[in-house]
Amino acid sequence: MLDFASKPGLLFVVATLLPLASFVLILVAFAIRTALRSSPEGSIGQQLYQASGGDVPSRWPAWLATAAIGLAFVCSATGFVWFLDDHKQIESLEEEARHGKASDRELAHEKLKELEAHWVGSIDWVRLGASDDPRQGLALQLGFRIDHLSAIMFLMVTLVATLIHLFSLGYMAEEKQLHVEDHQVHGEEGHYRRRGRFGRFFLFLSLFCFSMLNLVLADNLFQVFVSWELVGICSYLLIGFYFERSSASNAANKAFITNRIGDAGFVIGLMIVWTYFGTFNFQELFSRVRAPVQDSHGEKLDLAAQIVRGNVTGEGKGKKIIFDPQGPEVLLFPRQRGHFHAEWITPGGDQDVRDDPKERQFGHMPYWLLVAAGLGIFLGCVGKSAQFPLHVWLPDAMEGPTPVSALIHAATMVAAGVYLVGRCFPLFTAEVLLVIAYTGGITLFVAATIAVVMRDIKRVLAYSTVSQLGYMMLALGVGGWVAGLFHLLTHAFFKALLFLGSGAVIYGCHHEQDLLKMGGLYPKMKITALTMLMAVLAISGIPGFSGWYSKDVIVAQAMGFASVHPEHVLLFLLPLVTAGLTTFYMFRMWLLAFAGEPRDHHVYEHAHEAPGIMTGPLVVLAVFSVGVAWGWPFFSSAFPFIDSESSWLEHQLHHAQPDAVQASFGLNKAEWEAARDGRLSGQYFGKPPIGPELAELEKQKKERYWAEEYSHLAGNLALGVVIIGLVFAFALYYYRVLDPAEGEAQFPGIARFLTHKWYFDELYSALIVQPALLVSDWCKNIDTRCIDWLIDNSAAITVRVAEKDGRFDNRVIDGMVNLFATVAYGVGNWFRRWQTGYLRSYVLFLVLAAVGIFVILSYFINATG
Amino acid sequence: MPEAIGLNHYLLLGAILFVCGAVCMATKRNAIGVLMGVELVLNGATVNFVAFAHFNPAFAVEGQVFALFVIVMAAAEAAIALAIVLNFYNNHLTVDVDTAEELKG
Repeated sequence: MLDFASKPGLLFVVATLLPLASFVLILVAFAIRTALRSSPEGSIGQQLYQASGGDVPSRWPAWLATAAIGLAFVCSATGFVWFLDDHKQIESLEEEARHGKASDRELAHEKLKELEAHWVGSIDWVRLGASDDPRQGLALQLGFRIDHLSAIMFLMVTLVATLIHLFSLGYMAEEKQLHVEDHQVHGEEGHYRRRGRFGRFFLFLSLFCFSMLNLVLADNLFQVFVSWELVGICSYLLIGFYFERSSASNAANKAFITNRIGDAGFVIGLMIVWTYFGTFNFQELFSRVRAPVQDSHGEKLDLAAQIVRGNVTGEGKGKKIIFDPQGPEVLLFPRQRGHFHAEWITPGGDQDVRDDPKERQFGHMPYWLLVAAGLGIFLGCVGKSAQFPLHVWLPDAMEGPTPVSALIHAATMVAAGVYLVGRCFPLFTAEVLLVIAYTGGITLFVAATIAVVMRDIKRVLAYSTVSQLGYMMLALGVGGWVAGLFHLLTHAFFKALLFLGSGAVIYGCHHEQDLLKMGGLYPKMKITALTMLMAVLAISGIPGFSGWYSKDVIVAQAMGFASVHPEHVLLFLLPLVTAGLTTFYMFRMWLLAFAGEPRDHHVYEHAHEAPGIMTGPLVVLAVFSVGVAWGWPFFSSAFPFIDSESSWLEHQLHHAQPDAVQASFGLNKAEWEAARDGRLSGQYFGKPPIGPELAELEKQKKERYWAEEYSHLAGNLALGVVIIGLVFAFALYYYRVLDPAEGEAQFPGIARFLTHKWYFDELYSALIVQPALLVSDWCKNIDTRCIDWLIDNSAAITVRVAEKDGRFDNRVIDGMVNLFATVAYGVGNWFRRWQTGYLRSYVLFLVLAAVGIFVILSYFINATG
Repeated sequence: MPEAIGLNHYLLLGAILFVCGAVCMATKRNAIGVLMGVELVLNGATVNFVAFAHFNPAFAVEGQVFALFVIVMAAAEAAIALAIVLNFYNNHLTVDVDTAEELKG
């Protein structure tokens, strides 16, 4: 069975499959009950149905789903601890393998292999081609590969999901009733009434958890794509959970269709990858695109972890690629490294290539196609992570129940895009990374400005999510691989908290979502208010809270990038300014909801704190929002609160960072100093550089180096902007020094522009929806006028021809057949008379015939003879 | 002068026998009588064969053999016909062939 000792990675597989098991169990139970429900009155089926609860929504699916995801969390936590322990061993073994005695090296290498095999595994899912030999032919695989990133993601997803499941137990309590009145749907007799859908909600949540975990688990792009689509369908189902409301079903459609646009890009990327690499496995892809860091002798390559470009010359077996940093072709490295020599890949050199390379041969592909593949995959991420210009679906997705907004549209699913960009980082060329950076930059600013004016509490949070996702994308694009994914993790906690908090507020205020009708709710719901305050502080980037750690590194990275590329200074200014905007709109939301005087007494009087099952998760999330990024052990650094570099989580993520980040954006400060002192593993072969080597190393001071060099400056700048935002927020919404309404009146153009969300929906409506409707209308006219006319007329002609044909058939053909029959009948009737039945008459005929024959014969005999 | 008995006399005898038989078959209503008529017809034919065998040396053997065949056949035929008659009698309690008219048109 499951041998965890020899393959502890299976713990994560089990964690993935638990929600699936829950999903399948609930689905089967529902299918059986649905079948029983339609059985006739009084039958055994109907009795069974009534005995198992009848029409009352069952509660066990909720407990099952919650237990499954809780157990998944336990599994991943165990796996994570195990993984860290293994990793420590791996590090010490690597050290030994490099510097130990020759006899020890062999042993160390073997142990290393064994340990690394703990965390990977795959099976062929669909094998293409006829060969049974697993080494030949292509195969789509199902597999897992655990590294620091996926292990931490697992922990985050299962923890947040468990808390959200618990919260939903309280929030969705209304659905436990036999009849639920939907106040937003008006039927002919007042409000629309329907059966509660308590179980269905948890059914979808379970499927979602499985898909998300599978996405993180996957070791290949195709498995990611499958989960990607599953996640998409779950999102669709949950946004449209109240599908009787037209707004909800429209929002679900919008989310689904917008995501399809992104997925079209994803599929294009997949096709290019499949065509040129014949595999979807991440490790294989990266090792084919990126040069190895060192060769078989441990010597460092000059083009380590880079994409090698060049010009291809020659034909057939004489084909060569001459290296050129601007060349139109990309060198693809062999599938199997085997013996590899650093001199094979030197700048200005050349290498034999084949069009259809074998295991150990080099191949090549057009550079622009690699760019297209990267852009395609990124387009998928743009859709999923709601980046500009496909961000329009996320705010509308707030039509779903609030726990769904928290789980899917804040903490996990939308993060999948960021996660995938991080995973596929080695596939991305410099151009693609720049596109990613600018997409993120535009998104974070646009969304933040819209969030400033939104009145619906969930929409504020939705735009804030879009904006924060933009931060992550920007960070990845400017080389802050760790920064972007670090922010993804911290953001998951405080955004889940914000959404659950808003859910508690909405629940407490009886489904009132308008911020302007709230106010002064603090005394009524203290736990909610305080926990949300923690999240607001965290997202604003107040020192000591988790968001500060991650946002600081992003801003610093952007600053480092801008210092190397002054023409892209916008990529630094946008996140800096938006940091202030973020603080402003988050505090605006909190102050409008909880502080000041109640604005709507009806809402205020009926407001109440949420039950313990809902506030419990809030408190847990608040603890994580504050402390998830702290150093560990707590006093490992001198100033755990004020030194943003002391985060334990960030250090863990560093282990998962691909070498491609170094290759594209240089070394960071610590790595650079290690290289200077000859300590950096794999680089400069353990010798301090001298003379020209040192000068070469000086050139390695690129984006990541300067990012660290400027980190304190960037952090202080960001803090300054945050304080400005804070001051404005308090001035407008707490002390009322300035009146926000007056501000809107002063700049009506800007206010209208922002409340209309930069007119994106209108723009898409005018550019895409209206023309599409126009074309459809046109097609409809062609259809009704031309095609239908043709069909109608040809039908009429057919009828007339058929009538003529029928008459011909009846008269002529049938007449002939009848004639033959009549004649045959008459002849038969006439002959019948000769059949008298008397033997004597037969004998008479016989004799007469004999006489006749004789007469004829005698005539012939006379005639001839 | 009376002519010596030749082929024509025999043929005439055969023909008389044939005609007697045929008339017997056509006129008798008793099935046994009809059978007797059949025997007469066959015997007429046999006389012919034997006569040709006697007067025409080319048929010396064949005529005799055919006559024997006809006799054997007549015996077999009589056996079958008598069986039919017996069955007919069982079903109709008569041997009148006019009652066997169920297959008439």
